[in-house]
Amino acid sequence: MEKIYEIYIKTSPEALWDAITDGETRAKYNFGARVTSDWTPGSTFEMGHPEAGALLGEGENLEIDPPRRLVQTMVALWSDDVKREGATRVTWEIEPVGDSCRLTVTHDELADDANPELYGGWPMILSGLKTWLETGELLTTPGSLRYT
Amino acid sequence: MTDDDRVFKALADPTRRFLLDLLFARDGRTLTELESELEMTRFGVMKHLRLLEEAGLVVTRRSGREKLHFLNPVPIRLVHDRWIDKYTEHQVTALVDLKHRLEDQP
Repeated sequence: MEKIYEIYIKTSPEALWDAITDGETRAKYNFGARVTSDWTPGSTFEMGHPEAGALLGEGENLEIDPPRRLVQTMVALWSDDVKREGATRVTWEIEPVGDSCRLTVTHDELADDANPELYGGWPMILSGLKTWLETGELLTTPGSLRYT
Repeated sequence: MTDDDRVFKALADPTRRFLLDLLFARDGRTLTELESELEMTRFGVMKHLRLLEEAGLVVTRRSGREKLHFLNPVPIRLVHDRWIDKYTEHQVTALVDLKHRLEDQP
């Protein structure tokens, strides 16, 4: 199964790339979870929070082409249910459009009956990313800062 | 028209909401598949899909000779965060205040 999420954000491709790959910035809109990696092709990444105890997710950076394209495998680790789903693939694509960017997140290699928890968080994450980049404010919707 | 206007306008039609529900149930459908679920001409369904696409609620991908339609729920989330959460938050706050007041009573 394949899921596609698209959003327009008034920012530059470079600022958008930084917001996706900088751990501290990521925590501001990704349910409070940090993402750490050295962002070289073939490197791994970890998603977690010092206070969450165990990792929330991990994966490999398959393709890295800043500030345009990032392809990652993603293994969700936040519950026994999602762990059973195994690795899926997340592709981030940034395309400048006028004074904005179109960000497309394609989440595929999902099982046909994949647990909706794997992909259900994307709208809230992308809404928080847009809010952060355009206003410098945090999204405070219930649940959006779950791990802070 | 602003982005929000396009989303509200797209949602203000039962056929378009039905199309979104179909894609929610199963993503990546062709026009022919979607059309078979509706008592409407192919042209009519295309028109609705175009409005949904313009509002960003549907995105399409080519797969060989076929065009596949996917639900993009992000604009609904943006409308929620901008318009709905703002109002429901107060109700939640009022209930929390009430709880505190009742619990603080001697």
